[in-house]
Parts: sequence; C-alpha cells; structure tokens
Amino acid sequence: MSATAARRAVIALAVVILAVFPLVSGNLYLQNLLIMTFLLAIGASGWNIMGGYAGYISLGNSAFIGLGAYTTGILAVRAHLSPFAGCLAGGLVCAVAAAILSLVTRRTRGMYFVIVTFAALQLLGIVATTWSGLTGGSQGLALPLPTWSLSYQNWPFYYPLLGLLVLTVAVSAVVRRSKLGLGLFAIADDEDKAAGLGVRTDIYKMIAFVFGGTFVGIAGGLYAYYVSFLNVAAVFDIVTSVLIVLAALLGGRGTLWGPVLGAFILEPLANFTSTGLGGADAGAIRLLLFGGLLGAVVLFLPRGVLPTVTRSWQRAQARRAGLAGPAMAGGAATAVPSDPDQVMLSRASGQPESPADILETRGLVKTFGGLRAVDGADLTVTAARITGLLGPNGSGKTTLFNLIDGTVGASSGQVILAGRSLGHRGRAARAHAGLARTYQLPRLFPSLTVAENLAAAQPRFSFRRLWLPRVSADERARAIDVLSGLGLDGYADSNPAELSYGQRKLIELAQVLWLDPVLLMLDEPAAGISPALAQRLAGMVRSLQRHGVAILLVEHDLAFLASLCDHVYVMANGKIIASGTVAEVSGDRAVVDAYLGDEVALAAAERTA
Amino acid sequence: MKIVNMAQGAFLVLSAYLCYGLWSRFGIDPLLGGFIVTIPMAILGVALYRLVIERVQRIDPGLTIVATFALALVAEACIALVWGPDPTASTPGYFNQAFRLGSLVVPRAQFYAGLLAVGVTVALQAVVRRSWLGHAITAASENPEGARLVGVQPARVGAWIFAIATATSAFGGAALSFLYQFTPDSQDVWIGLTLSVVILGGLGSIPGAFAAGLLLGVAEAVTSTYISVRWSAAVPTLLILVVLLIRPQGLFTRAARPDAAT
Repeated sequence: MSATAARRAVIALAVVILAVFPLVSGNLYLQNLLIMTFLLAIGASGWNIMGGYAGYISLGNSAFIGLGAYTTGILAVRAHLSPFAGCLAGGLVCAVAAAILSLVTRRTRGMYFVIVTFAALQLLGIVATTWSGLTGGSQGLALPLPTWSLSYQNWPFYYPLLGLLVLTVAVSAVVRRSKLGLGLFAIADDEDKAAGLGVRTDIYKMIAFVFGGTFVGIAGGLYAYYVSFLNVAAVFDIVTSVLIVLAALLGGRGTLWGPVLGAFILEPLANFTSTGLGGADAGAIRLLLFGGLLGAVVLFLPRGVLPTVTRSWQRAQARRAGLAGPAMAGGAATAVPSDPDQVMLSRASGQPESPADILETRGLVKTFGGLRAVDGADLTVTAARITGLLGPNGSGKTTLFNLIDGTVGASSGQVILAGRSLGHRGRAARAHAGLARTYQLPRLFPSLTVAENLAAAQPRFSFRRLWLPRVSADERARAIDVLSGLGLDGYADSNPAELSYGQRKLIELAQVLWLDPVLLMLDEPAAGISPALAQRLAGMVRSLQRHGVAILLVEHDLAFLASLCDHVYVMANGKIIASGTVAEVSGDRAVVDAYLGDEVALAAAERTA
Repeated sequence: MKIVNMAQGAFLVLSAYLCYGLWSRFGIDPLLGGFIVTIPMAILGVALYRLVIERVQRIDPGLTIVATFALALVAEACIALVWGPDPTASTPGYFNQAFRLGSLVVPRAQFYAGLLAVGVTVALQAVVRRSWLGHAITAASENPEGARLVGVQPARVGAWIFAIATATSAFGGAALSFLYQFTPDSQDVWIGLTLSVVILGGLGSIPGAFAAGLLLGVAEAVTSTYISVRWSAAVPTLLILVVLLIRPQGLFTRAARPDAAT
C-alpha cells in the first residue's frame, strides 16, 4: 500500500510542478521543451492503448499528428476557424481515420497492421504534398499568428497540452482497469482464444485505436497552431513516428506511465539533435541515433525502463523480507474436493433434460486446397446425452470443432445451434449464442491472473459492459468459489504459468463455463492428465449434462469414452462412418478398418503365413 | 519465414550505391556489378540475422518488424554519411539507348532490367520448389517444431533466407542504379513499393510477387498517363490499404489454413 501511496504522491507532485512552472519561470526555452515533451507523451500514451495493451504495433502514429495538424491548419486558413476549435475537428478526423484503419485488423494480425499504419503515413505525406490546392503542398501552410499579448508567453499552448496529457493518461488508466482493458490484454496474449470467449475483438481494437488516434490528433492541432507553419516533410517525418514508438518501448510498453516517462527521457535528446546539430549530416545523424536507439531498446531493454525498475525493486524488497522468490500458494494442488460441480454450475441453466437438439450440423464440408478435411459431416448433439466424437488422427475431428465454433469458415453446409443457423456468424457471436469450447492443450492468457482469466469470458456484449471493472466484486467472489471447488484455493491472483498442466485444464473448463453455455465442446479433455483427475473431470461432465448443458467431446481413450458417452460418432477421412454406443461402434467393421486399417490386414497375413 | 523485413528497401538502395561505386570507381558494368554485390549483401544478411533478427525472435517475435525498421533507418543514415544526400545514378553506355523493332521502341536499360527480373524470379522459384533448401524453408516457415524433428534447423534456414533475400536485393539495386536516380532516402519509396508488391501478390508467393510487380507498374503508368504523374506515387500505398481491407491474403494466393502452424 505504501508503495502505491508513494507513487501517487510523486505523480501528484510532478503534475503540480508542471502546472506552476510557467507561472514562476519565464524560461521560454524550457517551456518550449515541455510543450514538445507533452506532445510526445500524448503521442506515446495514445500509441500505447493499441500498441501496448492490445499488442498491435503501429509505425505510422505520427500520421495522426499530421492529420490533426493539417485539419486544424486548413480550417484556420480557409474557414477562419480558431485553431482551438479546429484541433477538436482534427481529433474527430483522426478518430474516423483510425476507425477505418482498424478495419484492416478484422481479418489480419500484427504485421499487417504495422504495414498498414506505415502505408497510411506514407500515403498522407504524398497526399499532403500533391493536393497543394488544399494544403499548400511543398510551399507549406502558414497559420494565422496568435493574437494574444506576449506577456502570456506560451501558456495558451502549454496548459491545453498539459491538460490533454492528463486526460490521455486518465483515459488510458480507465481503459486499463475496465473490461475493455482486460479484453485488450487478452487480445495481445491470444486473440483467437479471446474471440472464442465472446470478446468482440473487432470492436475492442477499433475503440483502442480510435482513442489513441483522437488524442494524438487534437494534440497535433495544437502543435500546428504552436509552430504556426506546416510543411509536409516536417509534419509527416518518419522520425516523429520513431520517437513515439521509441518513447513507449523505452518507458515500458503496456504500462500506464511508461510512455510518459519515455517521452520525458527522449524529448530533451530529440530537441538537442534538431537544434544543436548542424551541417549537411545532421539529418543522417538523427536517423542513426534514433534508429540505433530503437534497435537497442528492442534488443536490450524490450520490457522498458519502468517494468525493469519495478521488478528489480520488488526483488530487492523480497530479499529484504527474507523471501527467496515470489510467494506461491502451494499444497492445495492435488487436493480433491468433495463436490466441485455445484459451484461450477452456479449460473448454469439447470433445466431438466430437454429432448431438443442443441447442435445439428448438416453437410459440413471444408476443403483446404485439394484436401477435404471435413467431407459432409452430419451430427446431432442433444442435451439428453453426452455425445462423443472419435476417429484416428487426421480424420477431421478438430477441423470439425473449428467449423462449429467458427475458427474456420465452412466451404459449405450448416451449423445449427438450438434451432438457429449460425451462418457466417463470428466466433464471439457464437460464444454469445451459447457455444463454448476447450482446447487439446489449454490456452490461458499468460499476462492475466487466474481470476482475470475467468472473468475474461464475456457471455454477451454491450458498450456499457466495457466500462465495468476488470473483475467486479461479484465476479471475484464467484471466481474464488469456483477455484475452491476445483481445489485451487489461493490461486486467484496467480499467473497461469505457475500452474500445472492438469490445473490449467481445469481452469480452462471453468473459464468456458463462465459463458453459461448451452453446448460445451471438449477437445481431448482427459489427454495427459492423471487417472484421478480424469475421473473427476468425468464427474464434472456428467453433472453438467444433468444440468442441461449439451456436451460434445473428442477423446481417444475408449474406456473414458465408454464410461461417459451415451452416443458416439466415428470419423474417418472427414466423414462420419458410424454412430451408436461405444459397444456398437467398436464392433463395426468400418470403424475397425479406419482405426487399424492395414495393420490388421498385415497381422492377419502374418498369421496365415 | 513470416518475417516482414522493413529494411529490404534500404538493402536495395545500398546495393544500388555499391553497384554505382563499382561502376564509377572501376568501370564495372552495373549488370555485372549486381552479381559481385550479391556477395557482400549475403554476408550482411547473415550477420544481421545472427546479430539482430534471431535475438529479437527469441525475446519477442512481435518486435521483429520494429527491429527491421530500425535497421532500415540505420542503413539509410549510414548510406547518407558515406555517399552524401545528393541524387546519384550509374550511366553506362546503354542507359539512354533503345532498340527499334519496327515501330516499337524498347529502351535498352529497361530491357536488361526486365530480363534480370525474370531471371531472378525464375531462379528463386526454382530454389524454393526444387532444392532441399527450398523445402527446408517452406517446412521451417510452416511448422518450425516439425521441421526441427526432421533435422531442419530453423535458425540456420533463417540465416539462409536472409542471405538470399539480401543477395537478391543486389540485382534489384543493380537495375535501380541505372534505371532511376536514387538518394539515401529513396529506401522510403522502395520499401513502400516492396511491401505493396508482396501484399498484392500474397506474402510468401514468388510468382504472386512477380505478377503483382507487373500489375503495380501498369497501375502506376496508367495513373501517370491518365490522371497525373504526381498522383502515381500514391498508387502503391493506396493499393496496400485497399488490398488489406478487402483481400488480405493477396490477389493471387488462396487463404492458408488458419488453424495450421500455430
């Protein structure tokens, strides 16, 4: 607690000092330096919401400074709008631009986003140069000069930018502590999994990028008025983009204060190189310096100053307290609780067995090139029984799972959940419709705590929900209950990496049950865990089924399947070749062939020889 | 290898300067110079892979593209410090001559550069499709763990890929050195073009890149003829944005299995 209080005091003191500084000192050089520092800090903090929280790095964020600056400048020159109003329009234009650019991330991941932001920066530079009728082109654009008395020094720029910086950091802090932030961190860890847990990744990313872009755009507008002259080469300079990324990385990507700290470290250096260096080589030296710094930070300080310092400080604290390492909640790992299922199901529908079909697939086909991975699969899963799916490796079971939950789009065929065709609905929409799925190897979010991992699952989407706290008090209580039901008391605030494989499997199950699913798909739930744990898992699955959750599970362990499933489907070569009880299908000739194939024939041949 | 190298434009311009240096200092024709320059460029590629890329991949693969971007800036700065900021070009005897085939006028420089481009593309495609190295590259890119199991060392393959990529830029640089004027910051334009070509063609596809290169050239020519020369510069970046919004897998490739190789 005292560390938090000390940190708050330092921050409050810093803000007060910055606020009174121009009143007590008439040093215009320092005022200028601080104004430029605020600008960079806003740029880096804005970048950090998308680049740090969501892990989508942008190399073109100075495009927002340019866009905000030119919008403000053009409105001031052509429409005689005050730059202080114009910069808000600049923010709006940047918000729209960010929203459009974020559409690219709907279907593509990290490196495409880097390319898109870089291309957008280049394109804006070219447009600003070429569309000279609007922007003044290479001649530049001169804004009207400020009309206030010189005795105000640079206050009219200083205070709005300081205020904007405080606002940017405040919004950044709110995002961090909200469900929006939780979703963004989940996206950075494992976007595909987050979507499967009902996180509307497209909306989350768009909001993150729009927030960042808007503040930077407003700051760009103020900057335009401050320098009062815009030229393309300076405004769309790649070095500005580098400084933004560098400040965020140097200070600590994904932290709240890192980008601000990075800006305060970098700007004096940047200011020196742009005013202190002269001669023909000045530009090259600037490039060498900041390019080299960027490379050095990536290689030698990838976490940034703030996390590195915090960590070594914590280590020192721990050493002083006589602890060898971080405290571990040990001992409870293998305890088997009496009845875990009640808690897990506290939100399950609890309906009596209904005869209705929960899941139906009709003629599902998926081709990859010439390969028909799933070739016309029809199956029905009802709430009345536990349905198994088996088949040799490569028979298409996991692809069928991926088709049902929307990870891959079907080439043809239909998935019908509770009577409604899922069509082309995205993964999050399927999760909201009640479809939940675990993976062969559990996929938890490594940068979130166990409780946060559970609360990351979003059974529905609304904009209001985004602003709720990461883990509300109710959710935390529920998470602790669930964990204690699983025999994992005291692990709520642990990192998933500290858990064993079996424990992670249990937590992933609890995580998807958070969605309150009508259909639960389990991909090899018993693989690689101890027989005792497998038995417990079987008990949980049975209990879920009794509470009205339809279950479809893939499993290779026939004994496990036989003990659990009332009905199984057998797949081979993408087709369903048999169905019935385990006893029925294991006597089926086609099934035996599919599983054992040539080996049986070979063994038979050997016997006769 | 699924690494987007933002320094490829800088390597191209560096190669152009090296070819120019060979031509102006020793009178070596840039077309021949291109072959010579492949050697230092390949060495540079391996060195950068070992010193930078491989390490970043271990630390945080998401930052690889940032590291290559940093390399591009450093390379541009070094070029500017060595050769200065003024526009440069090699002017061998044929640079402004032309063949005449009836009414068709074919500039010799463009003709040679075109031949070089076709030759390099065919050679690259042959390496990827037919050689053991090519299969190892495909394997290591699609499934590094599996590749390791069958005796392919992804790190070594990565070094080879980088060597091939930087060596190939030597031929591009050779053509650039007598086709256009270039300055150290030309890398900015060329990385835009390079990215646009690979995005259009689909990442990982050599024939796609070739087709996309042709398409891009035509699109730029059409823009400068019918709209304005000044707007043709916007074509590559505009195409990147449009293609990534509408068809992110590129114009010429099928979407890969999204569930494989993760």
